[in-house]
Amino acid sequence: MSKKLEAGGLGDFESLVKDGAVDLLNYLEAGNFSGAISVIQELSDARHKSFYKEVGTLTRSLHDAIRDFQVDSVDLAVEGSVGDSGTKITDASDRLNYVIELTNSAANKTMDMVDNSLPVANELKIQAKDLRKDWNRLIQRDLTPQEFRELYKRIDTFLQYTENSATALHSNLNTILLEQGYQDLTGQVIARVNDLIRDVEERLVHLVAVAGRVDSISGIEYEENVPEHDDTRGHGPAINKQNNPEVLNSQDEVDDLLSSLGF
Amino acid sequence: MKILIVDDFSTMRRIIKNLLRDLGFTNTVEADDGTTALPILQAGSIDFLVTDWNMPGMTGIELLRAVRADEKLKTIPVLMVTAEAKRDQIIAAAQAGVNGYVVKPFTAVALKEKIEKIFERIDAAK
Repeated sequence: MSKKLEAGGLGDFESLVKDGAVDLLNYLEAGNFSGAISVIQELSDARHKSFYKEVGTLTRSLHDAIRDFQVDSVDLAVEGSVGDSGTKITDASDRLNYVIELTNSAANKTMDMVDNSLPVANELKIQAKDLRKDWNRLIQRDLTPQEFRELYKRIDTFLQYTENSATALHSNLNTILLEQGYQDLTGQVIARVNDLIRDVEERLVHLVAVAGRVDSISGIEYEENVPEHDDTRGHGPAINKQNNPEVLNSQDEVDDLLSSLGF
Repeated sequence: MKILIVDDFSTMRRIIKNLLRDLGFTNTVEADDGTTALPILQAGSIDFLVTDWNMPGMTGIELLRAVRADEKLKTIPVLMVTAEAKRDQIIAAAQAGVNGYVVKPFTAVALKEKIEKIFERIDAAK
C-alpha cells in the first residue's frame, strides 16, 4: 500500500482549499459573487471526491487487515489445534484457553500430589514419634523383654514403612517437578499471542491514521471520552506495581493502610 | 465453624480450602461468585466468609455490601483474598466493612495471621 499516494490525496485537497480560499477572497473583494460561488462549488466537489477516496482507502486497509489476520495461522499452530477456518484472533483465543486449561490441570495435579503426600508425611511423623518414646525407654533400660521383642518387630515394620513412604514421596515430588513443564508450554503460547497483539496494534494504528484523514476531510470531531475503569469490577493482578503509586506492593503495605484506617 | 470460600478459580478455592484445613477448619463450602454465594449464605449456617474480589457475575465487593446490608448476615466476618491491590479498592473494602484483606499471591502465614486476628477481635468484642 502506498502511503505517499494516500498522503498526497489529502495534501492535494488541503492545497486546493488554501488556493480556493485565496481565489474566494479575491472574487469577493472584486465583487464577483458568481465567481465566488463557483469556487465554493469546486471546493465542495473536491471535498466529496477526497472523502470518497479516503473512505475507499480506509475500506481497503480494513479489508487488508482482516485478510492478514487470516493468513499464516499455520505459523501459530500447535498440536493441530487450528482448523482451516478461523482467524488469528480466534486462534489466539483458543491458545489462551489452552493456557488456562494447562495451568489449571498443572495446578490440580500438583495439589493432588500434595494431598497425596501430606498424610504420608504425617503418618511418618506419628510413627517416628511413637517409636522414639519406646526407643528412649530402651536406652534407659526401662523395657521388659516382651516389650523389647515388640519394639524389635515394630522397628522392622517402621523401616519398611519409611522405605515405602520415601519412595512414594519421591515419586510425588518428581510428578510435581514434571508438572512445572506447563510454564514452558504456556510461556511459548503467550509469547506468540503477544506477537499477534503487537501486530494487530500496528495495523490498528495504521487504520486510525487513515480514518483520521476521513474525519479531517468530513469535519467530524469526537469528544475525548475515556471512561474511568470501575473499581467494583476489579482490575485483576497489578502488573508493574512499582510504577503505580495507586497500587500497593505487599501485604505489609495493605496492613499499614488498613491500620491507618483504624483496623 | 462452617466457612464459605468464594473464588471463580477452582484451583484457588482448593488452595484456600487446604490451608484452612491445615489451620483446623475442615468444614468448608465453595461458590464461584457472589451470585452463587448469596443463596448459600442466606440458607444460614455459614460462620465465616472468604471471598475473592474479581469474579464474573457478582464481584466480591458487591457480595460484601450485600452481606452487610442483610439483617441476618451482616455480622458474618468477611476476609477478602484477592489480587486487587489498589489503594482506593482497599479503602472501599474497609468502608464496606471487610474484616481482613489478604493480597494474592499470599502465604499460608499471612492467611493464618489474618484469620486469627479476626477471631481475636470477635472474641474481644464479646
